[in-house]
Formats: sequence, C-alpha cells, structure tokens
Amino acid sequence: MFEKSPAPGQTRRALLLTGAVGLATVTLDLPANANDEHAGASEDTYDAVELIKRLTGKTPVASDRLHLLMPRTFPNGYTVPLGIEVESPMTESDYVRYVRVVAPRNPLIEVATFHFVPRRSLPRVSTRIRLAEPQFVLAAAELNDGTLLMATTWVDVATNGCA
Amino acid sequence: MAAVMPRVQVPSSVSKGEVFQIKALISHRMETGLRRDHEGNVIPRDIINKFVCRYNGADVFTVDLHEAVSANPYFEFYLRATESGPLEFVWYEDGGKLYSLAHQLAVE
Repeated sequence: MFEKSPAPGQTRRALLLTGAVGLATVTLDLPANANDEHAGASEDTYDAVELIKRLTGKTPVASDRLHLLMPRTFPNGYTVPLGIEVESPMTESDYVRYVRVVAPRNPLIEVATFHFVPRRSLPRVSTRIRLAEPQFVLAAAELNDGTLLMATTWVDVATNGCA
Repeated sequence: MAAVMPRVQVPSSVSKGEVFQIKALISHRMETGLRRDHEGNVIPRDIINKFVCRYNGADVFTVDLHEAVSANPYFEFYLRATESGPLEFVWYEDGGKLYSLAHQLAVE
C-alpha cells in the first residue's frame, strides 16, 4: 500500500513526465514509470537530445557552461523571464556562435535564436517569452568549433501564454 | 493598433575594454497568427522577426524572433567597448517594414 502511494511531489513529477513521454512513444508502461522517477527523468533528457538533434543535425552535450535561467514557477504564460549566459572567453579562437531556445510544448516550438560575435559581444542576454503550458524549456549553444552545448529547465506556468 | 515605438538605453560614454549593458525594447503586439477574432477568423501573424545591433557597421548581436517572444519584445544584452562609433538598432517586422534607432558611443 505504501509503495503504491508515493509522496505527492513524486506523483506529480511522474505524471508530468509520463505525459511528455506519452507524446513521443505510443507504448508506455505507466505503472513502471510512475514508480521509477529516475527512469522518467532520463527518458525526458533523451527526448530533449533527440529534439535538438532533429533541429540542428548535431548531437548536443549537456553542459554546466550554459546557464538557462528561468523561474521554476510563474503566474502567467505571457511574459516568462528568460536569461541565458554561457561561460566563454569570446576570443577569435573560442567563442559562442549562437544560442537557440525551444519550448517543445508550445504550439510553435521555436522561441528565439541569439547570435554573438567574438570580442565585441558577450553571450549573455535576457528577455521575456510565452509558454503555453508547464514544460521543459531547452537551450542549445553552438561554439565556433561546432560543439553544441545543451541545458534544460522546468518551468511551471499557471496560464496559457499562447492563446 | 498602438504605434510601434522602439527604445534603447545605452550609456553615453564607456571606457575602452569595458563591458556595457544595452536595453532594447519595441512596443509591438507580436500577433502570433494562432488567435481568432470574434467571427472565428484567424488573426494574421504580425511579429518582429529579427533584431540587429550594429557596432561601427558590423553586426554584433542579432536575434531571430519567433511567435513565442512576448509582446513588446525586450532584450538586455552586453557588448565590449572596442572603439568609438555608431551603434545602430534595427527591428524587422513581418511584411518587410523596419524600425531603427542610432546612438553615438564615445569610448574613452
């Protein structure tokens, strides 16, 4: 009995994750997923990697050099703050070309792409975006050597910002 | 529709090598093309789809905007002062219209 009723937070997370996975895969072992939080989490990271790969043609690597700064929860989906920062020397030989932001559960998933140049710009920007529902927001940063860094963050919005 | 108004906030002078902040905002409804009017007709898409900041004639910060950027798009970004020169800001609207502002940056 105890095993079948995990902590409320866990249930919610599992539900959200199975929802996201359910879109991509038809066959879904719901009880197994609901009981194993980690399986759900890795499944979701896998989806993010696949999506970035499909959009850019490159395999991204999760990186702590790319910071995607967003509130965990926000009351409305119309003006959700978005901050991006990449740790980079921005020299001619080592710089960030662009950062692309995607909201996979918006009706139109592309959000914005920010382009930078060596020496004169810093890979740091903030803006406000629309989110249709709670979701993982993804950011991919391409470096001049072709490396693609990825970061994801969960954002919970109470209202649909795309309606 | 309210008038489209671009605005920027840039320091008037900075020291050489210094990193400075720019705030750029344009009042624009950023109509997504997903909404319908009272008769059920789709309201056509009308967004700012590109923003460019030029420093001495060279593009230094560019944004490709999609429908998910909020109304009245606002960007806060950072440049390094390399030399005195003009800073130009251009917003491109669907349909080919553009809005621009220029600013003279003095680097000491």
